[in-house]
Amino acid sequence: MNAPEGLELEGGPKPGELAMESGSQAPKKRFEVKQWNAVAAWSWDLRVDNCAICRNHIMDLCLECQADPQNARASECVVAWGVCNHAFHSHCINKWLETRNVCPLDNRPWQKLKEGR
Amino acid sequence: MILQKRLLTELRELREDPEIFSLEPEDGNLLRLRGYLQGPKASPYEGGRLALELVLSPSYPLVPPSVRFRTPVFHPNVNFRTGEICLDILQSAWSPAWSLASCLRAIQLLLTEPEPSSPLNCDAGNLLRCGDKRGFWSMARMYTQLHAMGRE
Repeated sequence: MNAPEGLELEGGPKPGELAMESGSQAPKKRFEVKQWNAVAAWSWDLRVDNCAICRNHIMDLCLECQADPQNARASECVVAWGVCNHAFHSHCINKWLETRNVCPLDNRPWQKLKEGR
Repeated sequence: MILQKRLLTELRELREDPEIFSLEPEDGNLLRLRGYLQGPKASPYEGGRLALELVLSPSYPLVPPSVRFRTPVFHPNVNFRTGEICLDILQSAWSPAWSLASCLRAIQLLLTEPEPSSPLNCDAGNLLRCGDKRGFWSMARMYTQLHAMGRE
């Protein structure tokens, strides 16, 4: 097996010897980066993933707005957070609250903490 | 109607556990589901295959499905004639976070843990309230063998 060009294997100059040679000519490259691949991962910094009411991802539109994304309503499709730290699409939770004013996940009275993306 | 896509997902999940229960649309109608529930172990319904019917409102999951047994079931909280089931989560305690699968699991649990204080079947309720567990068990077992076993 031949050593790839630019890569010194056994028998090549040791670091000390390399320094001595560098006076006369440019130091020999030990290796050369030909290619590298960077890998990145990401995830939502959230405790809930899906809206428990429509089962779409909380950062997606709610099911109804997803079916009709051109509708003006879709631009107001935001996430509603309760003080209990549970999140739903505001469209979904508002419809449910007409039935019972409780959080669908813990059955405690619903109090909105914030709304938005 | 947020119903359709969620329902299709739910039906797909249900198919993953066909041993315990099955539920399929009747004539392709997503609002009418029919299926079966396996009688739970250590109950008089063990070994029985209990037929169920679920009718969904277009507002599901904001309102609970209406569920009834199509197999006669002798149980304090099941109407023997109509198959109507008395279970709080199918009425006032419903939450849209429940699913079809969780309803079926709750019904299965109700079969093992009858609640004789709010009976739809007074005979079954009375037997249990008098402490005649054996009497209740043999009645329920008899009806299971008669209606839920040994035939399709």
